Amino acid sequence: MIDINLLSKKYGEQTVLDIDLLNIPSGQTFGLVGNNGAGKTTLFSLILDLIEATTGEVKNNEIVVSKDESWKNHTAAFVDEQFLIGYLTPEEYFYFVGGLRNMKKDAIKTALEPYKDFFHGEVLGQKKYIRDLSKGNQKKVGIVATLLSNTPLVILDEPFANLDPTTQIRLKKLLNEEASATGKTFLISSHDLQHITDVCDRIVVLNKGKIVRDVVTSSKTLNELEAFFQEQL
Amino acid sequence: MKHPNMYRKFIYLQWKSFFRAAGVTSKLAQKILIAVVWAYFAFVFSGLAFIAFFGIQDEFGLDPLPTVSGLLIYAFVLWIVIRYFIQKMPMVHVQPLLTLPLSKKRIVHFGLTKSIISFFNIVNLFFFVPFGLILLKEDYSLWGVISWSLSIGCVILATNFLNILLNSQDRLLLIAAAILVGLFGLQYYELFDITAFSEPIFMVPYHQPLWVLVPLTLMLLSYRKSFEHFLKKLYMDSDQMRPKKEAQRVTELKWLDGFGRTSFFLKNDIRLIVRNKRARMAVWMGVAFLFYGLIFMMDIYDSPVIKVFVGIFVTGGFLFSFGQSVPSWDSSYYALMMTQNVQYKEYLKSKWWLVVVGTLVSIPLASFYIIFSWESYFAIIAGGIYNIGVNAHMVLLSGAYTRTPIDLNSMQRAFGDKKSFNIKTILLGVPKVFLPMFIFYIGVLIHSKLMGFILIGVVGILGFALRNFVFDWIEKVYQNEKYQTLAAYKQKNT
Repeated sequence: MIDINLLSKKYGEQTVLDIDLLNIPSGQTFGLVGNNGAGKTTLFSLILDLIEATTGEVKNNEIVVSKDESWKNHTAAFVDEQFLIGYLTPEEYFYFVGGLRNMKKDAIKTALEPYKDFFHGEVLGQKKYIRDLSKGNQKKVGIVATLLSNTPLVILDEPFANLDPTTQIRLKKLLNEEASATGKTFLISSHDLQHITDVCDRIVVLNKGKIVRDVVTSSKTLNELEAFFQEQL
Repeated sequence: MKHPNMYRKFIYLQWKSFFRAAGVTSKLAQKILIAVVWAYFAFVFSGLAFIAFFGIQDEFGLDPLPTVSGLLIYAFVLWIVIRYFIQKMPMVHVQPLLTLPLSKKRIVHFGLTKSIISFFNIVNLFFFVPFGLILLKEDYSLWGVISWSLSIGCVILATNFLNILLNSQDRLLLIAAAILVGLFGLQYYELFDITAFSEPIFMVPYHQPLWVLVPLTLMLLSYRKSFEHFLKKLYMDSDQMRPKKEAQRVTELKWLDGFGRTSFFLKNDIRLIVRNKRARMAVWMGVAFLFYGLIFMMDIYDSPVIKVFVGIFVTGGFLFSFGQSVPSWDSSYYALMMTQNVQYKEYLKSKWWLVVVGTLVSIPLASFYIIFSWESYFAIIAGGIYNIGVNAHMVLLSGAYTRTPIDLNSMQRAFGDKKSFNIKTILLGVPKVFLPMFIFYIGVLIHSKLMGFILIGVVGILGFALRNFVFDWIEKVYQNEKYQTLAAYKQKNT
């Protein structure tokens, strides 16, 4: 699904990302961990063509993202609040994003049904603008918007941050279900090692812009990851 | 909780916040531009002081002081209108101070004192200082002039605090604007002369210097009231500290569905305007500019080339104020737009429709200029056509270079933004305004004024016919600017 070759991003002299090779096959739930400044958001921004690569390129389904925009048709992403439209109500936002993906309003309404639990009665039908929602509820809106339209590739940057404990558990369940039932490819980053090992089949550790670990998740993975970050102290 | 260096520290904070504002990046050109703007206002206002004195004295044979006193009522109401647009709520910036060891009283005093040093208070000095000096030179009574000037100053500051206290409500603006237009209309048609009432009132402190105590008390009271008000409201969740929550306006806007995919954007844009004060202002600007022509209907401006200039602005107020901030209106979610499968053209088309409809509505609304002269009316129609055909594209083009993030959720006023100045957008202003004047001039040389107006209209229609071609071009510019625009929007207001 995603093929990265000799990709780097420099700001002046400083290299913030430097990846020789990274292939993410279709259907994988791919986890990205690393400390602040490790390059997680930079990598996602490059995949989404939001910043320009210094060298190399990202291919999304064989499409070079910086040259051809058609990857947008099968990719949905939620990186930060820059992906929300504050003056819309959550419903209007879903209709907008879904509508751009050619979904009819009724289809969107139906597609929202399964997420009622996840919203916990605090998002839909509130007559509140997104900007007036709490950070956690804003995040829920952003996440659901990426799942709604059934795009084969979903990119989520730090989806667990700012969520309350119950919602974190719900989100894990949701992502596991989506991944197994639909065969979607997920790219997820997180600071929470427990959550990411619970959700992802494969975990890549970034450190100072480089891939330092690339493991298939097993029962040992959590301990290994904890050991790795312990070493960084 | 007194601290000897505190005010120095406050001033230090102010200084840093000015010079480190995001996007300014200490560009010398921009600083110079700001200096030029200040110099311009200093020049205009002190020039106005001379005109106000000698013009009134020599041209009309009136005593300048009472006449100016009478007219001041207009200035005060106008000030309220302008403050609405320009003034920032001072308390928004003191949030980080709340948890520091400073007493709340000091923080409020600081916020209020800061509001005094705003452009629209200081700019008055450029008028009243020279005017006062002229008065003294012309042998007006010393104590009278001092008392008179102080009184005016107090009233200006009182409106300053009142505006802050009332938190720049939309309603206040409408009332003030209605009063202004109403009074002016009544006076213009000699139905009712407000200055006959305001003149003696404002002259009292001149004749009886001790009466200065009345406006002074008024000013102190308004300060006291604001102070008490903010002292109570100095909490993070009060309206004064946070952007106000808008009343909920939820409608489906089904009637727009006929526009196909563009309708998604049109719906958003209409919600943008209805639900964000900053964007609503663009509409008010459009309304205000409808009346812009009135000042040019005076004899001194009676030149047809100037009328072309006016025609462009009368019909183009909304077009300019909304259009030049495309795509910045969407700055807070630009990353979303860039990852959706939308084409720039669909997105741009929605903005284009909005400015075109705004202009189309202005043209019949501005038809009241027909009472002044046919020439004015032709200028407005020609200007309107030019706006639709040419300027609707030009504003979208200059928007691609503006890259000033707009924080829709903040109270920042549209004009308070020094960052809006930028050489490229100014250069792009030339074809917007001066080209039609030039075209008109050519028409006059070839044949007649009517020919000039027709030529402007023809150029406008040509531009309209070429719109698909122009859209492709603008699209390319937007695409080339994409990464830079995204980066600029990312570093929001700090």
